[in-house]
Amino acid sequence: MERDKLIFCYTMVAPALLVTIGLGIYPMLASMVMSFQRYDLLQINQIGTPFVGLDNYITVFKDPRFVQTVVNTILFTAIAVVVSVAMGVFLSQVINANIRGRSVLRTLVFVPWFVPPVVASAIWMWLLQTERSPINDALMSLGLIDSNIRFLTDPSTIGPFSIPMMSVAAVRVWNGLPIIIIFLLAGLQSIPKGLYEAAEIDGASILQKFRYVTLPMLKPVLSVLLALLVMNGLGQFEINYIMTGGGPRNLTNIMAVYSYQQAFMFFRFDYAAAASGVILLMTSVVCIFYVRAQTKDDLR
Amino acid sequence: MLDFSSNYERFVGRLKLGCRGFATQRVLALGLGGVLAASATVPVNAQQRSLEFWTQSYGDLLQWNATMRDLTERFEEETGISVQHETVNWSVAFDTWLTVSRGGAAPDCADMYWLHSFSAIGGDQYGPMPLNDYRDEWPDLEERFFEGSLQDVFWQGDFYGVPWRGDIRAFIYRTDAFEDAGIEDAPDNWEEIVDAAVKLTERDENGNVKRWGYAYGTAVNSVSWLLPYYWQAGGEFMTEDGQTATIDNEAMRAALTFMRDLMWKHEVVDPDSMEANYDPQPGFLAGDIAMIGSAEQAWGVELDRDYPSLEGKWAMAISPKGPENRASFSGGGYFGVLRGSDKVNECIDWIKFLSRDENMQMLSGASGNVSPNRAVMGSEFWSDRPWKVVVGEALSHAHTSQHPAPAWSAIATPEPGAVIYDMMYDAIVKQQDLDTVIARAQERMQAELDRSKNQ
Repeated sequence: MERDKLIFCYTMVAPALLVTIGLGIYPMLASMVMSFQRYDLLQINQIGTPFVGLDNYITVFKDPRFVQTVVNTILFTAIAVVVSVAMGVFLSQVINANIRGRSVLRTLVFVPWFVPPVVASAIWMWLLQTERSPINDALMSLGLIDSNIRFLTDPSTIGPFSIPMMSVAAVRVWNGLPIIIIFLLAGLQSIPKGLYEAAEIDGASILQKFRYVTLPMLKPVLSVLLALLVMNGLGQFEINYIMTGGGPRNLTNIMAVYSYQQAFMFFRFDYAAAASGVILLMTSVVCIFYVRAQTKDDLR
Repeated sequence: MLDFSSNYERFVGRLKLGCRGFATQRVLALGLGGVLAASATVPVNAQQRSLEFWTQSYGDLLQWNATMRDLTERFEEETGISVQHETVNWSVAFDTWLTVSRGGAAPDCADMYWLHSFSAIGGDQYGPMPLNDYRDEWPDLEERFFEGSLQDVFWQGDFYGVPWRGDIRAFIYRTDAFEDAGIEDAPDNWEEIVDAAVKLTERDENGNVKRWGYAYGTAVNSVSWLLPYYWQAGGEFMTEDGQTATIDNEAMRAALTFMRDLMWKHEVVDPDSMEANYDPQPGFLAGDIAMIGSAEQAWGVELDRDYPSLEGKWAMAISPKGPENRASFSGGGYFGVLRGSDKVNECIDWIKFLSRDENMQMLSGASGNVSPNRAVMGSEFWSDRPWKVVVGEALSHAHTSQHPAPAWSAIATPEPGAVIYDMMYDAIVKQQDLDTVIARAQERMQAELDRSKNQ
């Protein structure tokens, strides 16, 4: 009977498992193998794909452009995650409150979710285009600026930060906020109201209720959310590629874009696979920490 | 927690129910199998008299597909061979052909480009197929087609197909802006470009530019803007055998200096020109850009079709002369057969059909591309508008953008990290020392050419 149940379970998950293996695991493993080979499309007919060990990884890490993309990827991910989660926590509280117009507010907050990232990038490219930007126009009409802000092309930097970086990060936050709010809203609605009532009886202020009731109860949701956001952020591609192509001067280039450029512009699939391998490594570290944290929680 | 017991029992129960009809199912399955087997002979015959043909998308997509439908129907009437036509969007064209060249799904024959790169990548297994055995099917190729266009269908002595389209670029300008600035004629040389651009650039009281006098080019590929200036200065990117880079010279210094001075010395070109999101078209349409040095002829088609309100406010002119000549950028595409196809004879018949003068005329009209066919370019269609006359004249100054090196597409891709893009960006935007920048680019380009030697 137990064996039959096991067969039944595996039969039920088999289709999804096959798809995951075929479209996810196999390409990932193939890419990992490629990262240890010489895989230059312009030389493949002459020399094949010989094993080269860690040479590809050494080569990409010697490329200052790639090193900058690693820093940019971490920065973009950190900015997007921190700002998204902070705004998400605030907005989910607002939407969860019993206020007039809540459904209208919910609709407005969720609108970015209906916009695919590619479309969002195209729209924001127009909105942030230096000379025809309605944002620049509005700011100039209000007298707040007297020259156009080069949202996507200003090469000046303060440390690793730049206006193009902030602009692209803002678009990533805008596009990713709805899903975060949905997660947090579900979490908020599962918090027993009795806890808030008890806190109120004890004289807790709004901030104290948030700190001692809301945040601890949201911890499981937040930990899942943070892990997913970080893993997703490390592999982000479309918004950066479409809006700036990684420019100006590599300021918005990220590892996934670098990998794409190496493969499809320069025909160096080996370097592209090595760059992707670094993404996989970073994502795996996050994943390991997350799984360990979940295991510890389960044991408690 | 999921209740596996009840789900399992329901599953087993359904299985048992299903078995009652098992015998019925066996009979149905056998019957279906028989029908399929019997019908298998019919599709095979149809497949032998059909071929798969891909083209990129050109001009108005509906009109392009209608034109292809008309051609395929006439061909089928004439020969009994059915052509399954599929359109590949330009946004995915490069990735598509790269995949084809590495063994991905491929048609029997197609509208292709960058013969040298994709041939090298595909080697003897995939990609474009040499058609030397069929060369005699076109005995008058040299008479009927412009010589320059034939460079795009020969590689290492092998013949790969028939050229069918060209991409000629000419100078385009706003005649209304010219009138306002009191300029009568389009610039005829680099010095006149500078003079006109300075007069045409306008700024507001805060110094913000209201109208740029000049933009280097219209194409999304910013590297293609440098090519005509460099040729006009007398330069070539590599030797004829495609083995040696030849960019460290005075012609390159002249071209880059010209472009850099336009941006920083004369301040008539947008400093953001080389960024990925730069698009001069909205600016030109709005009158915020007065002249563009190298405009695709498709702009003429688009302006005529989509912006009739701009009639009389724009014009094209042949490329202004550089220090040595007035070379114009020229790209191209050809009809060829893919390796691995077992419909080669059918494809040859199809390509011969397409390369008839009247069909090339149809293709040129529907796509808006100039034709490498002399009869087509001499037709009334290519002289019924002033800009078309200019484009025809620009053909006589055409310089092919194809180069006999498989690595050329990697060298000339408009992405940071590519040899020519980095050289342009460092020299023009970052204003780094020209000698250092060009020497570095020469070394890098030679390394890239060495990468694909002996292909």
